[in-house]
Amino acid sequence: MNGEASTVTGGEVILRAERLERRFGGLTAVSDFSFELRAGEILGLIGPNGAGKSTTFNLISGFIRPSGGRLVVMGRDVTGASATTISRMGLVRTFQHDSLLSEMSVVDNILVGASHRQRGHEKRMEKVREVAAMTGLADHLDTIAGNLPHGLQRMLSIAIALAAEPRILCLDEPLTGLQGAEVGAALDLFERLRTAHGLTILLVEHNMRAVMRACDRLIVLNYGRLLAEGSPEEVSRNEAVIEAYLGRKR
Amino acid sequence: MQIRSPGVWACVALAVAAVLFALLATNPYHASLVVWILTNAVLAAALRFVLQIGELNIATAAFFGVGAYTTSICAVLLGWPFWLTLLLAPLVAALLSALFGWVTLRTKGPYFLLVSFAFTEVVRLIYTQINVIGGNSGLVGMFPPMAIDAHYPAFAAALLAAALFALYGVERSDLGRLFKAIRNNDAIPRSVGLNVVFLKVLCVVIAAAAVGLAGGLHAYANNVIAPSDFSYFVAILALAYVKIGGEGHPMGPVVGAAVLTLVGQRVAGISAWENIFYGAVIVVALLAFPGGLIGLAGRVRGLVRGGAR
Ligand SMILES: Nc1ncnc2c1ncn2[C@@H]1O[C@H](COP(=O)(O)OP(=O)(O)OP(=O)(O)O)[C@@H](O)[C@H]1O
Ligand SMILES: [Mg+2]
Repeated sequence: MNGEASTVTGGEVILRAERLERRFGGLTAVSDFSFELRAGEILGLIGPNGAGKSTTFNLISGFIRPSGGRLVVMGRDVTGASATTISRMGLVRTFQHDSLLSEMSVVDNILVGASHRQRGHEKRMEKVREVAAMTGLADHLDTIAGNLPHGLQRMLSIAIALAAEPRILCLDEPLTGLQGAEVGAALDLFERLRTAHGLTILLVEHNMRAVMRACDRLIVLNYGRLLAEGSPEEVSRNEAVIEAYLGRKR
Repeated sequence: MQIRSPGVWACVALAVAAVLFALLATNPYHASLVVWILTNAVLAAALRFVLQIGELNIATAAFFGVGAYTTSICAVLLGWPFWLTLLLAPLVAALLSALFGWVTLRTKGPYFLLVSFAFTEVVRLIYTQINVIGGNSGLVGMFPPMAIDAHYPAFAAALLAAALFALYGVERSDLGRLFKAIRNNDAIPRSVGLNVVFLKVLCVVIAAAAVGLAGGLHAYANNVIAPSDFSYFVAILALAYVKIGGEGHPMGPVVGAAVLTLVGQRVAGISAWENIFYGAVIVVALLAFPGGLIGLAGRVRGLVRGGAR
């Protein structure tokens, strides 16, 4: 689709958030947050704990409604649209916590992911095998998801999303708890998804080394507000970011 | 989808045996007992079917009653043909359950359980208030046509068994997996473009169609129905069948219904004691073997195998 558009600046705007805001009672988790996602890029969304990253995911995927602002996906205003609608348009997200069907087998997990797009059991099973091969789950198809090793559980949550054939894939801390080699394999997968499958990826991640390596561009949230934006190099040199985020980590 | 396990063939054989027994039994009481057991099995299986999405549907009792009243009204008051009255029972129950589900399944939490309870009792009270359908005393005089009458228990048993297999078939299909996914973590199906509210309603509708048919068949089997036959207690008994038989296995409701219905025949009549008896059996059974009789059988088999090694 947009396989060639993998330059740093990416292709056309595929998602635009305009002055997004979300309040929980007295707490404003996200406020005045505007950003653009361009076709074919891997955009990193970073920020300290509680900055509002997962809330942003919930907003753009329709799991919660914004208190204010506008959301445009592929040229269509989807502010307030349901999660089902947004997912069917091609924006699919994973979850930071409870990211899979823990009581069901790996096959059934991915099958659920494929259920809406693929018609008929055979087509769905084809998709399951394809996605399982990509995510290194081919040898674990009959394992109950909750019994998988942690690293494979993270891959399974990505596999579920991929089975729904997204154009925009939003990953909420997909690398948490992965071992060294697993991180490399996951980053290779992201790159392959972008180049070979034309996906656009929005990545929330605390692993800074991985973020620097994987992302074309970064946006930084702090206390629900946009703090900085730019290439990984620019952001890592940004004084405010170092103070708010990197500084706190060291 | 392929269902070719030996267990399924054993169930087909069992269903055929039940139908043949109902056909050939010389004692009409025995034949009607088969129908009664299978009716209870359908009620229990339908209750378990909705448990797949994590909801306890007390209105299973209401949709059973809706099926019975639909058939009876069409047969006795309107004089419509037998087949039509039987066809309408599941259809009307399904339609009403779709409305009921659409309104009640949007929220999470204990609301559905409470609303399904209230709905069941309200529907029952409505029957008692309408004179044309007999008020408190209900309707009398639903008879199968002459051609079927002599073999009606076998006919009903065959349809009830078919309903059980239909529920099982859906459970084993991709749709059944979606129901289980909703119970496990409904955010996942939502995140991949599935309409969870629609799927929940569909689950309730399929179960209601099955008990609606059972209600229609019950009306012809009993020849008389009354509002009190369709109180929430029908669903509580169905829950007992599920729990006694074993919720984890599709045959659990059938085993539970068979055992409790047969045991119930022994204590029937001493009515004050009947409910106490059921209550005691349920409590003891749940404490002694949480997986139900089928879970118990599995554990015994495991022990025997383990011992043989
Ligand atoms: N449903 C909710 N109700 C009330 N407060 C919420 C809710 N969801 C999030 N919050 C609050 O909003 C703020 C932002 O939370 P969010 O989960 O978006 O942070 P995050 O950036 O994803 O953090 P982390 O890196 O720890 O995952 C936090 O203060 C959190 O407690
Ligand atoms: Mg988070």
